[in-house]
Amino acid sequence: MRIYLLKRLIEIVPTILMITFVVFVMMRSIPGDPVVALLGDAYTEDDAIKVRAEYGLDRPVLVQYVIWLGKLVRGDWGHSILNGRPVLNDVLIRLPVTLELIVLSMAVALAIAIPAAIIGAVRQNTWADYTATSVAMIGVSIPEFFIGVLLLLAFSIGMGGMLPSSGWVYLPGTCPTIVCAASLLGNAHHVLMPAIALGIGRAALLTRLLRASMLEVIRTEYVTTARAKGLAERPVVLKHALKNALIPTVTVMGLQIGFLIGGAIVVETLFAMPGLGTFGIDAIIARDYQQVQGFALLTAIAFVGMNLLVDITYTFLDPRIRYTG
Amino acid sequence: MRMRRLRLGVAACLAVSLVAAGVTTADAQKRGGTLRVAYGNEILGLDFHTLPGYEMLWVASNVGCGLISLTPDGKIVPDAAESWEISPDGLAYTFKLKKNVLFHDGTRLDASVVKFNIDRILDPATRASTRTFYAPVHSVEVLDSHTAQIRLKYPYAFMMHMLAAYRTGLILHSPTATQKYSVEDRKAGKPEAVVGCGPFKLVEWAKGTHLVMDRFDKYFEPGVPYLDRIVIRVIKDAVTQMAAFKAGEIDFIADFSADHVDTLRAQNPRAQILTGKETTPMVAMMKVTVPADGKPMSKDRAPHAIFNDIRVRKAVGCYGIDRKEIVKIAYKGQATPWLGIIPPGSLDTVDVTHMCPYDPAKAKTLLAEAGYGPQKPLTFELMTNTEKSVFHVIATVIKEQMARLGVTANLRLVDKPSWMLTATQDGPFDMYVEDLASLLSVDQNAYLSATTAGWNSTRHVDTKVDEYYARYAREMDPAKRRAIAKEFQEFSADKLYWNTISGSPFYQIAQPWMKGYVYQAEFKVFYKKVWLDK
Repeated sequence: MRIYLLKRLIEIVPTILMITFVVFVMMRSIPGDPVVALLGDAYTEDDAIKVRAEYGLDRPVLVQYVIWLGKLVRGDWGHSILNGRPVLNDVLIRLPVTLELIVLSMAVALAIAIPAAIIGAVRQNTWADYTATSVAMIGVSIPEFFIGVLLLLAFSIGMGGMLPSSGWVYLPGTCPTIVCAASLLGNAHHVLMPAIALGIGRAALLTRLLRASMLEVIRTEYVTTARAKGLAERPVVLKHALKNALIPTVTVMGLQIGFLIGGAIVVETLFAMPGLGTFGIDAIIARDYQQVQGFALLTAIAFVGMNLLVDITYTFLDPRIRYTG
Repeated sequence: MRMRRLRLGVAACLAVSLVAAGVTTADAQKRGGTLRVAYGNEILGLDFHTLPGYEMLWVASNVGCGLISLTPDGKIVPDAAESWEISPDGLAYTFKLKKNVLFHDGTRLDASVVKFNIDRILDPATRASTRTFYAPVHSVEVLDSHTAQIRLKYPYAFMMHMLAAYRTGLILHSPTATQKYSVEDRKAGKPEAVVGCGPFKLVEWAKGTHLVMDRFDKYFEPGVPYLDRIVIRVIKDAVTQMAAFKAGEIDFIADFSADHVDTLRAQNPRAQILTGKETTPMVAMMKVTVPADGKPMSKDRAPHAIFNDIRVRKAVGCYGIDRKEIVKIAYKGQATPWLGIIPPGSLDTVDVTHMCPYDPAKAKTLLAEAGYGPQKPLTFELMTNTEKSVFHVIATVIKEQMARLGVTANLRLVDKPSWMLTATQDGPFDMYVEDLASLLSVDQNAYLSATTAGWNSTRHVDTKVDEYYARYAREMDPAKRRAIAKEFQEFSADKLYWNTISGSPFYQIAQPWMKGYVYQAEFKVFYKKVWLDK
């Protein structure tokens, strides 16, 4: 297992390098320039040339990438071209918000998907199954921002402003700023709607997948044997069938992290959350290359890290799975 | 007897003063509280002299102080300067400074501070956003500790307006903090580096989270500010802004989308909806020249294949565009159809819209004269960007209006940086729709439309435009200046190097309990006299 983990960790390095390189080249290939935004009203061609030279933006892209990588190896994630703030500092401030959102939205997704899939599979072709399947279809079809707007209308504008429409309250002890609101209840209030908005789409997908997987598993011989042994239906389904049916779902959950990061951009913007998603989209819109690189690097690490975690989870779900070097 | 009269007199005086005190107390501004502000866009950084963006300038107006300021009705009023004198030849502006002005780091404002700040702006190495406005300045002299004199190379009629309000006006930085900390520290918003002499001091800027300013207790104007704290958050989505406003989570929206004003009004009948005559132009600019050698920004210019021909410019941009219809559809009638080179709410503006009545027949005739018709239909690209949804609506209406002329306008929707790059760097476009910048006067538009301006996006090369700007800015007689402004705006409408469609309305929204705020469009967002009645 240790050797396997080591090999996987080594494999992560070229993956992340590839991702950051592609993002680096793509950002410089699309139209737009941070220098234009930086100079704003005072824009002159002479100043633009000087500023580009100052930030090394006039050098070949490959040279710029090697310089960025060299700094990264020394722990320097660079500074924002527009506001001079250290990128690492800014992404680390934003990361906990997005991590919490992603974890909770996945929890929302599972909390909906597991019971819905079990009901759908155990009571196949009944009204309960049709309802679960139909709701799942609707959930997949509705984009996050629309669900978010509906939630805003229902719980912030309606119902006497039951839930806050925007902003963030940190978990106690996690404040990254001097002026900061932190409380468990406040945090729960602020994260609930974004987590639901982001989680519902994933719930729908996982429901469909888990239902199909459950249908397959509950027809296998070992489940029939368990029933024949006289086990009650509940332990047969929850203990024997569900655990095995979860394996493909867990794989998809790992892949869903990428979608959740993408969805977080939309949801964080809608709910004005100070997360990594809004950081990333602001950086892309402003063409702040250093910030975009920081965002890409961190999300790449998060993505491959979560997928590694998923692979490790298999061993807990199915004892037959053993990783060797 | 005399004693009794005296007692009665004293009693009467006391009664009067008590009544007066009672009235004052009843109407007195309440001190304290936190004003919660929503911005629609992120602040780029906090070096007030170099960085762009209204969001930053609205912070600068409160953290910083200047020499003078501007009232909504256009009067120049003192800020850190208590008085001023302009020499008869208009070449020397002498400012007497108040003696009690302190920076937030405890250093005192004196005449050397004025010199330091203006010299910093004039230094090309600073790359100050406002440097172009200071072109007439020759030097700044310190006459004594509290008297500074700005000497000009030539008379400049808008010197006071420029100091008071062009891009929020001159903001004085603490020289001590400016020298101690780097420009990167100020851009990053380190509170110890961003030191002004305004009513609020910067406490913290956590990008994407909040910007916090606290009352500066040693502010030079007695009694103000009233608020303890201002917290600014960025809420980009208008629906979320409305939800936060309705739920009472925010007190003030500094820049609200025109598209959603009616909805917000319906949801919040007591909301204060603040607006005024438009000071920002909505334009449909037509490219006039292109680089002859294919290299963007080249001085060697060639005519643009379509719009260099004045007949086509007039057919498309003048008679072919129904400005009233655009305003009706895009703004539900809540804007002014306009043609002039500066918007309806700017100084010395003239309504020349009658010069371009909607006349499709005339447009078709002009197109035919230019060689376009059924055999050779005109097709051009109409670019706009995603910053505001209204841009796309306007572009779509123009496309429809062009179709009525037999002209095809192909829409190209790009993001804001792509548009900026194309517009400022001589990129390829035929026409674009945007609302550019807020303009106080005709003079201020020079940086967007003179032949030498970086923002001369149509790349016209007519130096007559520059001559008009120079004549206007150097004419010290207001009546003669107004005459030049009128002549220039008619000239501009005739040549269509600049093609305004309408004014671009600006809205701010305040809760009913927010008192003392004075609307000054994008130019000034002051919180020093704001108080919360709750």
